[in-house]
Amino acid sequence: MSWPVKTIAERTGDLLPGSPWTASVYVLLTILAVTAFMTVTGLVLIYAERKIAAHFQCRLGPMRVGWHGVLQTIADALKLLLKEDIVPRDADALLHILAPVLSFAGMLLVMIALPMSPSLQVADMNIGVLYVTAVSGLGVLGILLGGWSSNNKWSLLGAMRAGAQIISYEVSATLALLVVVLFSGTLQLSGIVQSQEAGWWIWRAHGCGIVAFAIFLIAGTAEINRTPFDLAEGESELTAGFHTEYSGLRFSFFFLSEFLNMFVLAAMTSTLFLGGWMPLHIGHFAVFNGVMDIIPPGLWFTLKTTAMIFLIMWFRWTFPRLRVDQLMRLEWKILLPIGFVNLFVSAACVVTGCYFFAR
Amino acid sequence: MPADSVLPPAESVATPEVLPPPEKHVGVGGAIHGAVPWIDKSGAVGGVFRAIRSLFGGMKITGGYLMRPSTVVTQQYPENRETLKLPDRFRAQLAFNHDDNGYHKCTLCRICEEACPNVSIIITGREKPAVSKKELDSFVWRLDSCTFCNTCVIVCPFNVLRFDGTFESSVYDRRLLSYTLNQYAGPVASVLEKLEDPEARKAAMEARDPYSGAAIIAALVEKQKATKIAERAAREAAKAARVAAKAAAAAAAAQPEAPPEAENVG
Repeated sequence: MSWPVKTIAERTGDLLPGSPWTASVYVLLTILAVTAFMTVTGLVLIYAERKIAAHFQCRLGPMRVGWHGVLQTIADALKLLLKEDIVPRDADALLHILAPVLSFAGMLLVMIALPMSPSLQVADMNIGVLYVTAVSGLGVLGILLGGWSSNNKWSLLGAMRAGAQIISYEVSATLALLVVVLFSGTLQLSGIVQSQEAGWWIWRAHGCGIVAFAIFLIAGTAEINRTPFDLAEGESELTAGFHTEYSGLRFSFFFLSEFLNMFVLAAMTSTLFLGGWMPLHIGHFAVFNGVMDIIPPGLWFTLKTTAMIFLIMWFRWTFPRLRVDQLMRLEWKILLPIGFVNLFVSAACVVTGCYFFAR
Repeated sequence: MPADSVLPPAESVATPEVLPPPEKHVGVGGAIHGAVPWIDKSGAVGGVFRAIRSLFGGMKITGGYLMRPSTVVTQQYPENRETLKLPDRFRAQLAFNHDDNGYHKCTLCRICEEACPNVSIIITGREKPAVSKKELDSFVWRLDSCTFCNTCVIVCPFNVLRFDGTFESSVYDRRLLSYTLNQYAGPVASVLEKLEDPEARKAAMEARDPYSGAAIIAALVEKQKATKIAERAAREAAKAARVAAKAAAAAAAAQPEAPPEAENVG
């Protein structure tokens, strides 16, 4: 393989026989870097969302704090840090405190497996796709606990809607994901990226790739509770849904995990369908591939993820919210049958080797 | 930025191919019969494709707004106070229409007072038998109870009233929200007499908007007072200097006779 993958976990393992202290310092530095990366990404995403949303709606967005409001999210974060942390009197205090942590943990654990570049990946499991699917379910637990422990009917309604929605759409998302697993023949995320060396799965797999991409994007948007599917929060119906009773730092945990979930979804979509950090290659067209290789893989990943994030934001500020029954109809009557048929067709394609640049 | 560019171009707003044809679902006489009109029963597949097309149409519109910053309608208010653009029909404050000579045509017919739904207009006046006309004492408009329904402007037969866009009408005291529309806003004659400079007097009489700071007259009187105080202070200083010089001269004349042990006594 022309793209050797070296994960952070492997590098720590290399350090371990030499000196356990060096290894632990390395791990500590890594944790610090990951924390900083998540915070900065969250702040940037929130700022970008506000600015882009404003311009979609003929507004300007934040303009006062710093140049064109660049420091606005920092000011908001500081404000949230200084806010009183309220636990409602009749709330289940332990679960109320646990919920945002679980929600954040679900997102954090997915981040471990994300291949951002051949040299930048925390751990590269051979069951990466399975791990991501399993662990991202923790977020639902956080949301359900948050709604339940708040002891507030609107929170509970929001949480139950979110639970039903996320678990339903998980099915379609997994079916779409299986298509890529079928084509690439591996569950390892870096392996999936490397299997797209001849071209991205979105176009190499005839129609199956693009159908799976659409299903994964729709289901993923529903899983992260963003606007066409934001019934869980439904600002106009449920005030804020499951996090109505949260304030201060815990609210910011929910908020941050929501935005980083968007990043994770965009990163997963680009990894599975758009080649992740793999540059744009067309088969064995060496000259073109060579030109594309000039751009480093990390930048490719950033570009693709940014494009996907922008697309998701575009969805949010254009589409109207679905009703609960429409939501369920879309999943069980439309997406799921299409997903199944797509899976069978792609299985036939894989068996007959009927896709572009099959080896 | 011209006012036209605030509105998006027509082609980005209208996407007729996206909207369903209304005739299809509306029966004879406009009555809706059969299924709910906005659910397309013509076929599941066709409906899905139409839905997808309409989603892309919506994304085209919002994307167009994002791509063209000229569509932004937000005004950066305190900064662009000089170039602020308000809609022509914006109703902020009731005002009198004056002709070129500064007269208004209110005849005290009280139609506006009668028409006002919440008694925000209170007119006082009296008969003037000599000219068989009425004389307007005060035309009071209460901003705090006004609902800006525009009825008074519509009913006025002499086109005296108008709503204008001077919107900065916030005050710290509710009582200040009662406006006397026919009042001369400048200082009264007895105050004007105190101004010695004719230019300053003219400036004090000029019509001005209520939110360009403290009244000019007060500032001018203050300035005049300050100059007077300064002059008096200068005079007193000069006088004190003179007195001090005289005392010093006297002391210098008395110096030789003064006994040298006087310092120890002090």
